[in-house]
Amino acid sequence: MVQLSPQQQPNFFLRGPSPLARLTFFAATSLVLMAVDARLHYLLEVRQGFVAILHPLEIIATSPLRLYRQIDEHFSSQGALLRETRQLREQNMRLATELQQLPTLQVENEHLRQLLEARQLLDQPARAAEIVHAGRDPFVQKIIVNLGSQQGVTAGQAVVDGLGVIGQVTRAYPFSSEVTLITDRELAVPVQVERNGLRAIAFGHGRDNRLDVPYLPVNVDIKEGDRLVTSGIDGTYPTGLAVATVSRIERNVDSPFAQIICTPVAGTDRHRQVLILTTSAPDVDYAPPAENPEQKKHQGSRHAAR
Amino acid sequence: MRPVSIGQVYLGLFAGMMLHLLPWAGFGLLIRPDFVLLVLLYWLMRAPHLCNIGTAWLMGMLVDIAGGDLFGQHALAFVVAAFIAVTYLRRSTLFTRWQQAAYVLLLLLVSQVVLLVLKLFSGSDLPDWSYFVPSISGILLWQLVIFSKVKVTGEHQGLGNE
Repeated sequence: MVQLSPQQQPNFFLRGPSPLARLTFFAATSLVLMAVDARLHYLLEVRQGFVAILHPLEIIATSPLRLYRQIDEHFSSQGALLRETRQLREQNMRLATELQQLPTLQVENEHLRQLLEARQLLDQPARAAEIVHAGRDPFVQKIIVNLGSQQGVTAGQAVVDGLGVIGQVTRAYPFSSEVTLITDRELAVPVQVERNGLRAIAFGHGRDNRLDVPYLPVNVDIKEGDRLVTSGIDGTYPTGLAVATVSRIERNVDSPFAQIICTPVAGTDRHRQVLILTTSAPDVDYAPPAENPEQKKHQGSRHAAR
Repeated sequence: MRPVSIGQVYLGLFAGMMLHLLPWAGFGLLIRPDFVLLVLLYWLMRAPHLCNIGTAWLMGMLVDIAGGDLFGQHALAFVVAAFIAVTYLRRSTLFTRWQQAAYVLLLLLVSQVVLLVLKLFSGSDLPDWSYFVPSISGILLWQLVIFSKVKVTGEHQGLGNE
């Protein structure tokens, strides 16, 4: 019996380069691609192109679910519909009464604003988008929505729902776009406490559905149950949208900072529709107060006219 | 066992890709097996002349593009698993079904560990044990397919087995 060492393998078993050579080649290619993608951001256009090519596949893949939903909607019982109608009617009534107070409040607010010489807030045009799927990687908090750069969505736009802020568009593909949720580790939202106007920055926590507010001293005036709203300083989110409620505060003796844990108000697990705010807020927000009132007024009117 | 055509291989891979692209969420996402890798391993063991490490790399790239991940991370994970599968190809033909299941589970775990290392390098937290659930569900799916009388390494088992 002749012992064959690996080098002396009969030739007819071997096809092309050896597995080790292939492994080395492809592993090196992957590593280079990863490095280029992570550090240099050259591959954005390439990625957009490929995603556009893969788009039909995604539509086919998500079609069973869409079909199921349609059938489900079709056969939802009359009782459920009646119940929903009643609920909506009640809600409508309640909102209508609140709406009656709104003009008065608006006038009053405008008056106060003029008194303060503050800038007029813009109404943000928004666009309803539907969630295609909620990300495939359990590590990152991202969703894919069905509007893309063809519909005027660009990276950086804020995404909200009826309850509050959901996140921000981070990549706009031709027919879909990727929204990073505020619970993602990479996203920070400038917030302020609704009760006393204290400003802070909320960071996503990553895995659980929660936000952290670091870098606030132990004696800070925040209580459990406080609502955090966007402060609008970054120019991405308009002022005053609900972001989260404070759920727990831990004050450690050995740390100079309080550990503040918040729960997001909005959630993508509840609705399928989201709103993309299609223009971002004015670029220069919060200019130093009143050096030149006249110029300021001029700016304000220009923004209002836009 | 009938010889495999290249069309069958790519049809299988396409089907795996479509399963991957389904809108998984919540619990489904947690237990979703790595369909593409399972199909890849199947063809790697059954038809190594049609499906090789390069195919694994290509499918990994497609998964990365579809998921919007960092380019090349799934590609690298698949390539490493495929390399092991190809290296022990001739040994794996002698495995019994249960040995084969353990071997495939090992390959699935290897690819997940490679992915985990890459994720840790790019700054993710260490996940809890449920990160490895897809490997378990993957091997259950594999066993399900194998027990429905599909021979994996048929071409190498000799003609008498047919």
